[in-house]
Amino acid sequence: MILTILLLALVLLGVWVVRLAGWKFAAQRFGGALIVLVLVTFGTSMLLRQVPGEPCEIALGTAATEEAVALCVEEQGLDDGAVVQYVNWSKDILSGDLGYAFYKNQEPLIDTIQQRMPRTAWLFLYSQLLALMIAVPLGIWSAYQAGKRSRNIPSWLIYPIVGTLFVFGQFVAGWRVTALIGVAFVIPVLIFNFVRAGPSGDTTVNFVAFVLLSIPVFVIGESLRYAFAVQRDWYQLTGYAPWSDGAAAHLKSIWLPALVLGLAATPVYLRLLRADFLQNLQQDYVAVAKAKGMSNTHILVRHVLRPSTVTLMTVLGLNIAQLVNGAVVVEFIFDFDGMGGYLIEAVYRQEFFAVQTIVALVAALFILTNLVIDLLYTVVDPRVTATAGS
Amino acid sequence: MTNIAVDLSETSHVEAGVPDTKSADWVFRASVVWLVIVVVFVVLGELNPLVGDPNEKNADLINASPGWPNIFGNDSFGQSIFDRVVVGGRISIFVAIAVTLIGIVVGGTMGLIAGYFRGWFDSLMRLIINTTLSIPALLLVIFIVTVRGRGLANVVLAVSLLAIPALARIVRASTLQVADRDFVKAAEVLGVRRGKIVLQEVLPNVMPTMVSFAFLTTGIVLVVEASLSFLGLSVEPPAITWGSIIAGGRDKFNDAPHVVFAPAIVLFLTVLSLNFVGDRLLKRYDIREASL
Repeated sequence: MILTILLLALVLLGVWVVRLAGWKFAAQRFGGALIVLVLVTFGTSMLLRQVPGEPCEIALGTAATEEAVALCVEEQGLDDGAVVQYVNWSKDILSGDLGYAFYKNQEPLIDTIQQRMPRTAWLFLYSQLLALMIAVPLGIWSAYQAGKRSRNIPSWLIYPIVGTLFVFGQFVAGWRVTALIGVAFVIPVLIFNFVRAGPSGDTTVNFVAFVLLSIPVFVIGESLRYAFAVQRDWYQLTGYAPWSDGAAAHLKSIWLPALVLGLAATPVYLRLLRADFLQNLQQDYVAVAKAKGMSNTHILVRHVLRPSTVTLMTVLGLNIAQLVNGAVVVEFIFDFDGMGGYLIEAVYRQEFFAVQTIVALVAALFILTNLVIDLLYTVVDPRVTATAGS
Repeated sequence: MTNIAVDLSETSHVEAGVPDTKSADWVFRASVVWLVIVVVFVVLGELNPLVGDPNEKNADLINASPGWPNIFGNDSFGQSIFDRVVVGGRISIFVAIAVTLIGIVVGGTMGLIAGYFRGWFDSLMRLIINTTLSIPALLLVIFIVTVRGRGLANVVLAVSLLAIPALARIVRASTLQVADRDFVKAAEVLGVRRGKIVLQEVLPNVMPTMVSFAFLTTGIVLVVEASLSFLGLSVEPPAITWGSIIAGGRDKFNDAPHVVFAPAIVLFLTVLSLNFVGDRLLKRYDIREASL
């Protein structure tokens, strides 16, 4: 169902792009994506053949009879050549047979995906919304402040940041950890801001983004989990509640993982938007707008934000890969039964076939998303077609 | 898939504005000092009189808070966290450096050849790069480690597969820029052999980019390896890594939060320093990621 809609949308988009940019361009894009898709899935199936020993014996456990193993080998096509196996495997996938989530009890993978995919999808959506809500205003503001030097701005910006960090430390684990955090975070920030004269708000925002970028996701996740789910019961680790249980229950069951994932994505968008803004602010049309007497806010939001959104869109697409990485870790930390959590589970149980299928599916999703964004570009910004050849 | 999306998106790290060298100096020096401290401690390991046996269990010190002489405290077995962090750093840092070196040598060569000689090799490289970059990194690493087992060599191999295409892409882009410059053209006109041009004209000019990104890559690899250990998918248990110390402290977070925080902060500061040094070098050589 979803697949049909996606394919239909892709076809429509394809027709549009052909009209706008011609056959050659469209064929280039679609062909390229297809080649990469085939290579990726073929690569993963090649890797599966590297399993030491017999994957079927591992999948079925030690108690399996020889007939069962033989059946499994035949079913998975492990005796066939690499190419034959790959072709059969892709035929199965395309006809909707994804194989088993847990080979031993023949639990179909498609059921697991249908059950768990929505959770991960909501997690992605909320975290990205949150990240954008923080990154876009801060990015604009910090680009606007760039290059300014003033002693005043950091002094009001630094206190909430330092304060939050201290409250956070107190929250998580008492004064010892607060002291550790103080040494690790606050002192560098203070040195950075006050020993030298007059960095602007931009420097501070940039610095904080830089720091946030360097904290591994699992460190953020683990400390927030401890603070909100273990020490206080602001977040229940009992599991996910779908929308049908009511909005409050749904949001309550997902906000902390989404926050962690969002915090991890924020500095990426922030830094990108800032850099992009800085470039756009040097364009002539900004000077013209300024000369015409437009207000700074108007220029920033109406003239500069628009071209920058195109870049932001691309990064949102590319960031899906990053997001999948983050989701695996975050779902593991919060025992969130999404796709990432399942993947780790499958790895522990050595369900090679399921892992292979999921890796291939995620890669396919990623490639498709980027293809769509690539094509949307031509629609949004026709210049892309003109420069595509070079 | 073409590279427009990737090219346009890489605007991130570097400031497009005026380089703020003054403020970076302070932080840059602090970062270098921290990196030197970490490397010296990790390389010396148990030879250092300050570092004891990481596996020595002391029943009197179970979950002891940070203090003297165990400045990072002790875990639920009474093992000194400081000793474990120092000894555990060996694998973490070895993996990071090994992967970066492999990435630089293999990816750099690929990028140089693809960027300078172009032709079918370039098309092939672009295909390989796009393919590898289109799999979410951690998934690929997890998959490889599952299939091939959790040895040190496999972890290095798996993570290298991420570093190679990423560095190859950057070196290729940088080579394209350098190859376009006049002194390369002059050498070509003078009839210098193309192999010699690559080594003597192009490589030295691509070097700053490579070195800057080597620092940034080392930071990323440190985090990837730590994530793997955290998920219990890196090197097998008796070996200690920063990620595995953090993972081990999870259950006892309530009694001994420092078991998680001490290695986490060391990891964080190391990654931060690597990022700063890399970023600073990018600014120093005026390399704009946006133009790569």
